[in-house]
Amino acid sequence: MLRLVALAAALVFAAPLVFLLQQAVTFGPPVLDALLDASALGPALRSLLLGTAVAVVTAVIGSGCAWLVTRTDLPLAPAWRLLLALPLVLPSYIGAFTLRAALSPGGLTDVVVGVSLPRVEGFAAALGVLSLLTYPYVYLLVAARLRQLPANLEEQARVLGSTPAAVVRRVVVPQVAPAVLAGALLVFLYVVSDFGAVQLLRYDTLTRAIFANLLDRPASTAYGLQLALLALVVVVGERAAAARVRRLGSGSSPRGTTGLVWSLGRLRTPAVALLGALAVGALLAPLTVLAYWAGRGIVLGEQRASSVLADPAQLLAPLAGSATAGVLAALAATVLVLPVAYLVARHRGRAPAVSNALVVSGFALPGLVIALACAFFALRGPAVAAWLYQSLPLLLLAYVVHFGAQSLRAAQVGIAAVPRSLGDAARTLGAGRLRRFLRVELPLAAPSLLAGAGLVLLSVLKELPATLLLAPPGFRTLATDVWAATEDAFWAEASVLALVLVALSAVLTWLLVLRRADALS
Amino acid sequence: MFALIVLLSVLLPACGGVLAGGRDAVTIYSGRGSSLIGPLLEEFSASTGIPIDVRYGGSAELALLIAQEGDRTPADVFYSQSPGAVGFLAGEGRLAPLDPGVLELVDQRFRDDGGLWVGVSGRQRVLVYNTELVSELPTSVFEVVEEPFAGRVAVAPSNGSFQDFITAMRVTHGDEVAARFLQALATTGAPSYANNNAIVEAVARGEVPMGLVNHYYLHRFLAEDPDLPAANHRFAGDDIGSLLIASSVSVLEGTDEPEGARRLVEYLLDAEAQQYFAEETFEYPLALGTSPVGDVPPLDTLEVPAFDIDRLGGGLERTLELIRDSGLDG
Repeated sequence: MLRLVALAAALVFAAPLVFLLQQAVTFGPPVLDALLDASALGPALRSLLLGTAVAVVTAVIGSGCAWLVTRTDLPLAPAWRLLLALPLVLPSYIGAFTLRAALSPGGLTDVVVGVSLPRVEGFAAALGVLSLLTYPYVYLLVAARLRQLPANLEEQARVLGSTPAAVVRRVVVPQVAPAVLAGALLVFLYVVSDFGAVQLLRYDTLTRAIFANLLDRPASTAYGLQLALLALVVVVGERAAAARVRRLGSGSSPRGTTGLVWSLGRLRTPAVALLGALAVGALLAPLTVLAYWAGRGIVLGEQRASSVLADPAQLLAPLAGSATAGVLAALAATVLVLPVAYLVARHRGRAPAVSNALVVSGFALPGLVIALACAFFALRGPAVAAWLYQSLPLLLLAYVVHFGAQSLRAAQVGIAAVPRSLGDAARTLGAGRLRRFLRVELPLAAPSLLAGAGLVLLSVLKELPATLLLAPPGFRTLATDVWAATEDAFWAEASVLALVLVALSAVLTWLLVLRRADALS
Repeated sequence: MFALIVLLSVLLPACGGVLAGGRDAVTIYSGRGSSLIGPLLEEFSASTGIPIDVRYGGSAELALLIAQEGDRTPADVFYSQSPGAVGFLAGEGRLAPLDPGVLELVDQRFRDDGGLWVGVSGRQRVLVYNTELVSELPTSVFEVVEEPFAGRVAVAPSNGSFQDFITAMRVTHGDEVAARFLQALATTGAPSYANNNAIVEAVARGEVPMGLVNHYYLHRFLAEDPDLPAANHRFAGDDIGSLLIASSVSVLEGTDEPEGARRLVEYLLDAEAQQYFAEETFEYPLALGTSPVGDVPPLDTLEVPAFDIDRLGGGLERTLELIRDSGLDG
C-alpha cells in the first residue's frame, strides 16, 4: 500500500523526464547526433565539476555553521540562525550580478576599500558565488538534525572518558552525516540546474548550453537529457553512500531535551569572525549593492523606484502572490513527498530507489524544462487538466515537481533518525502503521519536515522561469517584478523590490520555520 | 493534516477556475518587459475597452511555450523582442498572416514578406565605450577583432540580439566571413558577457573598455546615473555592425480573438504608441512618418545597412551552430 502511494506520488515527478524523452523521439536523429558529439561533453563535465566542488565546499561551511549555532554558546545565536539561512533567498542571478558589481574592477571594493580584484568570472567565481548562495541547504538540514540528536549518547561518551573531539568524531559525525550528504546533494542539484549565476559569471555548464541553444530544440533537448542523466547517476551514487552512512546510527531526542552545549572559550572571537565574514560575503555585500543602487536612484529622483516608496500599496499584489505561492507550495510539497520520504527512509529495494530518483530529477532540471513539461501534459491530458492550465494549482504542481526533492531530503533525514525501536514499542502496544507514523515518527521528524518546507518556501519565492510561463494571467510575484525591472535596466526599482523580497523571505522563514522549529525541538 | 489536503484539493481548483478566467480577453505573450510595455498595453485596453491578459517572459522562452501549446495556446498575439523567436514560430507554422493595411504602415525592410509579422520599434547595434578609457574608435565592426581593438571589445554570444547580428552578417557577407569573425573574437580573447545589461554595466565601471550592444540600454543606465562615463558609438555608413533590429508583433494562427488582436497591432503602430517608443524607450519608431527623440538620430537620415530584416528569422540554428563551433565562450 505504502509502496503504491509513494510510487503514485513519485510518478508526478517523472513528467519532465518523460517530456524530454518525448521531445527526443519527436526530433529523432539530430538529438542523437548532438548527444554523441564528443565536443558536447565539455558542458556536462563542467556541470559535474562545479556541482561537486560547490557541494564539498558547502558541506564544510554549512555543517560548521550548524554546529556553531546549535551546539555552542555562540553569542546572539538566534540572530545567527536567521542570518545564516537568508542567503538562500537571493535569486542566483541577483546574487551573481551584485557580487560581481561589488567585487569587480571599478566596483564597490575597488572604489570604497581601494582593493582592485581581477574580473569576477569563470570557475573560481562560480564556485565562490554559488557556495555563498547555497550553503544554507546544508546548514538548515544539519541544524535540524543536530537539534533532534539525543544528548544522552554524547553524555555517556563523555562520562566514559572520551575527549570532546572523540565525542564529535564517534558520536556526532555519524549521526549527522546523512544530513550533510542530503544537503550536499541538494546543493549539487541546485548548481547543475542553475542558469543565472553560471550565465553571468560565464562558466559554460549544461544549463548555459541549453539556454544558448533554446530555439535549436534538438540541441537543447540533447543537453537536457545529459543533465537528467548526470542527475540520475549522482542520485544513485548518493543513495549508495547514504546506505553506508545510515548504518552508522540513528537516534532522536525526546521533546524538551537538547544536545550538549559546548563552550567556545577562546574560540569565541574567531568563530564570530568567521560567521561574520560569511554573512558579509553572502548577504551584506549583495544587499549593500542593492541598497546603493536603490539609494542612488531615489536621490536622483528615479521615478519608478520613488513611486514604490511613495505608494507601498502597489507592493501588495506581488507580496501576496509571493507569499501565497511560497506557503502553499511548501505545504503541498511537504505533504506530497511524505509517503516517498517514508518509503525511502524505511525500506530498501526498487520502489524506494525509483521514487527517490524520480523526485530528485525534478530539481536537477532547469525550471524552464519543468514548465514546458507541465504545459505539454496539461494540454494533452484530460480536459480537466487543460482547464487547469495556467492556473494556480498547476503552477503549484510545477513548484512541487521542481523543488519536492528538497522536502524529500529533509523529511527522509528526519524520519530515518527516528529509532525503529520506538515504532516497534508502539506496535507491541497495538498501534497500527498510520497511527505509529502520526504519533511517533511525525512528531519526532517535525523539525526536519519544517526545514524542508522552509527550503521549498525560499526556493519558490525566488523562482522565475516556471512562474513566468505557468502563472495565472495577471499573477505577479516579487521575483517576476524584480526580473521585469532588471530586463529594462530599472536598477533602482529592481533593487528596492529585491530588498523587499529578502525582507519577506526573512519574515516568513522566521515565522513559519525557525520559530516553530524552536517550539518543536 | 488530512483535512488540510482535502481542503486544498477542493479549494485550489476552484480558485484556478476563477484566475484562469477572462476568456474573451486578448491574450498577449510579450517578450518585451512590463516596465516599458505594460503602460502602453494598459492604455490600449483602456482606450478600446478590449480586455487584455499579458504574459511577460523571454521571447525565446515564450516562443517555445507557444510551440509546446500548439493549437491550444491561449495566446492571441506574440510580441517579440527578437526576430529569432518570431522566425522560429513562423517556421513552426504558428503565425497567421496580418492585415495588409497594417503591414503597409511600416517600411518593407521592417516587416515579413509573407506578412506574418510587422516591426514595431527598432534597436540599433552600437559600440558602447568608456569615455575615460577610449579615445580611438573603430569605423567598422570588423575592426573589433584587429589591433588596437582586439580583445578589448565585449560581446554577449548567448544574447538574442548578438545572434541576430551574426545572422545578418551571414546573410550579407556569407557564412565564411561570419565564421571567421566569430573565430577571431574567440582567438583574440574578446571578453564575453551574459547580456547587454552586463556589458553596459561593465563598460561603465571600466572593467572592459568597449562592447557590442543594442543602443537603448545606455539610455536607461544614464537615466539612473547621468555621470556614467559611457557613450554609444555608431559604426559608419552601412556597416553591418550598425544593424537595426526590430521588435515585432504577430498574431497567432487559430486565434479566437482576431478582431481584438488586429486592433492591438494597429494600435502599436499608430502615432501615439510610436511616439511612446521614441520618448519612453529611446527606440526607433518604425511606422512611417514618426521620428525618434533626443540624441537618437531620425530613421530617414540614419544610414542603416540595407538589410531586409525578415531574413533574420530564418537560419538561427545555423548561427547557433557557428557560434558553438567558433569556440567563443558564450
